[in-house]
Amino acid sequence: MKRSLLILVFALLAASALFASSYFMGRRVCEMCTVRSTDNLDWLRQEFHLSDADMAHMRELHNGYMPKCAEMCTKIAAKKQELDEALAGSTNISESAKQKLTELAILRSQCQAQMLEHFIQVSQAMPPEQGRRYLSEMERLTIGAHEETEQMMSDHAGHMHGEH
Amino acid sequence: MNQENPNPSDPKLSALLREARATPPLPPRFREGVWRRIEESEIPATARIGWIDALVGWALRPRFALATAIVLVCAGSLFGAVQGHQAAREDAQSRYVASVAPNTLR
Repeated sequence: MKRSLLILVFALLAASALFASSYFMGRRVCEMCTVRSTDNLDWLRQEFHLSDADMAHMRELHNGYMPKCAEMCTKIAAKKQELDEALAGSTNISESAKQKLTELAILRSQCQAQMLEHFIQVSQAMPPEQGRRYLSEMERLTIGAHEETEQMMSDHAGHMHGEH
Repeated sequence: MNQENPNPSDPKLSALLREARATPPLPPRFREGVWRRIEESEIPATARIGWIDALVGWALRPRFALATAIVLVCAGSLFGAVQGHQAAREDAQSRYVASVAPNTLR
């Protein structure tokens, strides 16, 4: 009986090892087969099954948007630098720092608006159903992430107030 | 009347007593019943040993072992491939989102 039990345990271990090694091998092969290109637009082609013509249009829109995005990023980075300088060494928020915070928020909202405008343009260049799916996915991944954070924070604040 | 006490070691007396003791007849199918009870008392232990031995014997049959190995390799590879595809898709999505939405906006 003891011998049979040992054989059974060994067989189960061997089966687990076989499954695990096959799993890792399959995963590795699949990751290697999926072209890890440096093209950032690959996801659009894969996810929304776009043709070469569609992709050419996407690339045109993307390339048109990137300089505007970079310009916004530069403005935001500069404003953040100004804000850091206004906050440096102070123990309370000065009027100047408040002003910089407001300007930074305005810049960020302009950047978001520009980004959403780009998403809308891209979605309109896709077949209707794919476009709707793209827009909804991008809103979830960008603006939606903020909403989740705000929701979490408001829930947390609600709990904190409830404790009083 | 004989007043003396009987001696229990007296061979004559012992023989008489042995003859006088009635041996009752065994109930019908007594021997069969005894064997059946012996067998029943042995069944649980042998059954425990039996099913593991049977399982091992069954699992080690070349045809079954080969089929199991093939099923495990196929299931593992398929599951790994699905997971790998999903990981690659998420990676591509992250790259695209990072290119169009700066971190400060997410």
